[in-house]
Amino acid sequence: MMSSDKELNSPRERTATIISKIHAASDVVELIMEINEGREAAMLGSRFSSPLPGQFAHIAVPGSFLRRPLSVAGFDDESGRLRIIVRRAGKGSSALASLPVGSSLNLLFPLGNPFPMELIESFGKVWIVAGGIGLAPLLFAARRASQRRLAVRSFVGFRDDTHVFGVEELEEYGPVSLVVGGVVTERLSEVMDREAPGLIFACGPAPMLGALRLVCAPRGVRAFVSLEERMGCGVGACLVCNCGIKSPDGFAYKRVCADGPVFDISEVGFE
Amino acid sequence: MSEKRFAAKDVLITDLCGVRLKNPLIAASGTFGFGREYDELYDISCWGAISVKGLTLHPRLGNPPSRIAESASGMLNSVGLQNPGVDVFIRDELPWLSARGLVVIANAAGSTEDEYTEVVRRLADSPADIIELNISCPNVKEGGLLFGTSPSCAGAITKAVRRVCRQPLMVKLSPNVSDIAGIARAVEDAGADAVSLINTLTGMLVDTRTRRPVLANVTGGLSGPAIKPVAIRMVRDVSSAVKVPVVGMGGISSGDDVAQFMIAGASAVMIGTANIVDPMAGPRILGEFERFLVEEKIDDLSTLVGSLKAK
Repeated sequence: MMSSDKELNSPRERTATIISKIHAASDVVELIMEINEGREAAMLGSRFSSPLPGQFAHIAVPGSFLRRPLSVAGFDDESGRLRIIVRRAGKGSSALASLPVGSSLNLLFPLGNPFPMELIESFGKVWIVAGGIGLAPLLFAARRASQRRLAVRSFVGFRDDTHVFGVEELEEYGPVSLVVGGVVTERLSEVMDREAPGLIFACGPAPMLGALRLVCAPRGVRAFVSLEERMGCGVGACLVCNCGIKSPDGFAYKRVCADGPVFDISEVGFE
Repeated sequence: MSEKRFAAKDVLITDLCGVRLKNPLIAASGTFGFGREYDELYDISCWGAISVKGLTLHPRLGNPPSRIAESASGMLNSVGLQNPGVDVFIRDELPWLSARGLVVIANAAGSTEDEYTEVVRRLADSPADIIELNISCPNVKEGGLLFGTSPSCAGAITKAVRRVCRQPLMVKLSPNVSDIAGIARAVEDAGADAVSLINTLTGMLVDTRTRRPVLANVTGGLSGPAIKPVAIRMVRDVSSAVKVPVVGMGGISSGDDVAQFMIAGASAVMIGTANIVDPMAGPRILGEFERFLVEEKIDDLSTLVGSLKAK
């Protein structure tokens, strides 16, 4: 079964057209793209192009030499529409955020390993922990969990009011603790002291993920994190996007693109 | 009658130091892993050969991240020869590649003469078809590039490896030298059967906000179309200085680029960074090169190689 699932979900080079663009927050833009092949597949009743929460698209951005990896923030199986949320961080992401509606893009997707959605059921609930633009892949995970009628509780941090996005959407799925200008893991820790935690899915800046590990480890709470690193090929061949992982020999590098981007927090070295 | 769009397959057949390649396009070491990842996207047996990730005697972790930075028409990398070691390659990767009928070029790297010779000795009885001696990696502190920057060192390491090498020996040359043709002559005299060039150009980039180098390793190797003119010039210089075949590389990303390298003197070419930018680069560039051959009515590749006309 696993192999056929993998086949269904295998990466392909595809073209997509930006059909809508929303200013979500300061420096944050939400793009909806129509995947040409995805729509055809949807019409044929095939699911082979459907990405899963935690997977990413490797996008060729006009004017940039290297592709840019962007988390899938949503995908509609019916229409074959892909949702990407991008923060203007550097040259490539700014160029992508500046593309007008109607622009055509080349994407390689879906890539990477998804969040373990199937594990949520044994925990009964999922807790989302997000920092800033790290919320993008978690919106997709929260939506899919909610569609499966699983309990979702969210903890999201933003650096200031102007950067807040996605909170109303998260509230549709369950309670949300919003932290603006503070430390989201402190709020998480307080709630954990009085409430049994769910399985945690997290994404955000490295210091937040490091703090999350310190919150989870002593309590034996399981958490999966989506990591980010500058990327090359996106498929696991070039070995440039590595992150430090604990191994039986002490330490090893794993590929964020092909071994991740989702890792069990207990194996990641945030040093 | 339908228009002929593709060259007859046998036109593309290339002899590289006695090894028969179905075409002159080779996946360059370090950009293609051991082929498994790209084989999920397309049938990698379309390549003339695959030069695998550089192999050392023991597993190497490689350099800390960040290992990549974008540059104008190119990229800077500092992977630092991360690999599982030659024994794991022979046991876990090579059988699969050979079973696919691929011509396998084993890229041998090291820090000392002993390490290079031991890596090549272990490959001697393996089904690897060609050994590519990597004396030009700019991303490891000791060895690597050091061996490739003087004719005497390059000649000495080639000679030592030649003694234990049972396959054709190709030496990969660094562009970070003042006289690449002199180095090519030295390795030819020491017994190399072919040379491949160019490896990456050493470079660095600075983050102006933090005033730190962008790469954790400080410097890295520049590749991509940015280095193509340098590479073509060096292929011309080397091919006119040596008799052994020259395998050209450096920023090749189209069929026209392949033709440029071959006209400048390359018998075959390697394609690296293009794979990273365009995962379908291999089959695409092969198709473009076939169309070039048809359009130019070339039915014998030897009429293309080194056919550069004087201005």
